[in-house]
Amino acid sequence: MNINTVKKNINPITNELCSYQVTFVNSNRVLSVPINTENTDYQAIQEWVKEGNTIEEAD
Amino acid sequence: MPLVKVQSRGTENVGGGRRNIVINGAMQVAQRGTSETGVGGADGFFTCDRWGVYQGGTDGRLTMTQDSSAPSGFANSLKLDCTTADTSIASGEYFAIYQRFEGQDVQQIKKGTSDAENITVSFYVKGNASATYAVELFDNDNTRQASQLFNVTTDWTRVVKTFTADTTGAFDDDNAQSLQLNFWIHAGSNLTSGTLNQTFAANDNTNRAVGISSFFDSTDRTFFITGVQLEVGSQASDFQFESFGETLSRCQRYYTVIADGSEFVSSTFGMGAMYNSTNVYGSLKLPTAMRTGPTADMTSGTGYFNFFRNGGADAFDSVTLSVSQREGIEFYNQSEISGTAGHAGFFRIAHSNAKIALTAEL
Repeated sequence: MNINTVKKNINPITNELCSYQVTFVNSNRVLSVPINTENTDYQAIQEWVKEGNTIEEAD
Repeated sequence: MPLVKVQSRGTENVGGGRRNIVINGAMQVAQRGTSETGVGGADGFFTCDRWGVYQGGTDGRLTMTQDSSAPSGFANSLKLDCTTADTSIASGEYFAIYQRFEGQDVQQIKKGTSDAENITVSFYVKGNASATYAVELFDNDNTRQASQLFNVTTDWTRVVKTFTADTTGAFDDDNAQSLQLNFWIHAGSNLTSGTLNQTFAANDNTNRAVGISSFFDSTDRTFFITGVQLEVGSQASDFQFESFGETLSRCQRYYTVIADGSEFVSSTFGMGAMYNSTNVYGSLKLPTAMRTGPTADMTSGTGYFNFFRNGGADAFDSVTLSVSQREGIEFYNQSEISGTAGHAGFFRIAHSNAKIALTAEL
């Protein structure tokens, strides 16, 4: 994935982290990725973080 | 009453039920779209369901299409059409198309046991001119692999390759990737400088694609493939056709479209309610249980989606997953809508470019 940004989503009902919102370079594609180690998009985000990138806090 | 003599068809590869481990081998289903240009710069899934692209470093680009050219009995193929050549192949370059399989779906191969089975892969291919590519089975659980070369001509040809049983390294019995079927069509020396490894052995990247030609050697280059079958045994049985509905349902375990504005601008995607004055929530049950909790994959933009309630509609740009389970999802939008807590309504696409899909690919 050519990730541009990853931002935390906090569920307004529980006030807990529920997913990541992912944007891409030069694209209007958006992913909402669950916090789930079986999910390959979640795995890709962890790799992206290992490469030195940072997940943004929720608004 | 006349007697009917039933002829024996033999027993090998004629077991009951589904023989073909490949999903969408006939390239019938293309939920993401039927054509994608500029493929080669990123991994991903673009047209025919379950068929991914795995690339690295190449400047070559292609158009991937679900095409109507196909051998007799088939309606579709996956077509690759080179649009940007890459004749200076660096050592780390590669391009392959692949399908990945869950461990729990390949237990019948009995890999890693004394009863391990041979595996036969068959498929139909053609191109604009002769070419040589490699088909590979990669054991992700044990990092083992085997590859065999195949030739492409200008006519549809059925290729059959049998891989000898591997008694080393069992597949995990779970919903994660265990086996990967790769078709290598472009590779640098990191993947070609060794000796082609034709029977399962510990992976050495230099042995994986030895002897292949390059798909990106000319913008004239095309490659078509369909009728892909992977089965237990040492012979290829006839391709196991299935209905569009059966194939779609199998694909939906990994990717399912919830609403697509290009098909119908006012596509609905469920009911919801204002949880409070700024947060609207909705939920959906899925047509097929997915492999794992899915990602919501959206094309978003200003006012791409609507929430209809109380005699009007509120526009918003995207949704956020709050719950993602194999059987269903819950989603919300925060702060792009304001209204009265408790108002119920329904969600619709509001733009022809808007789309929401769920993905749980391997």
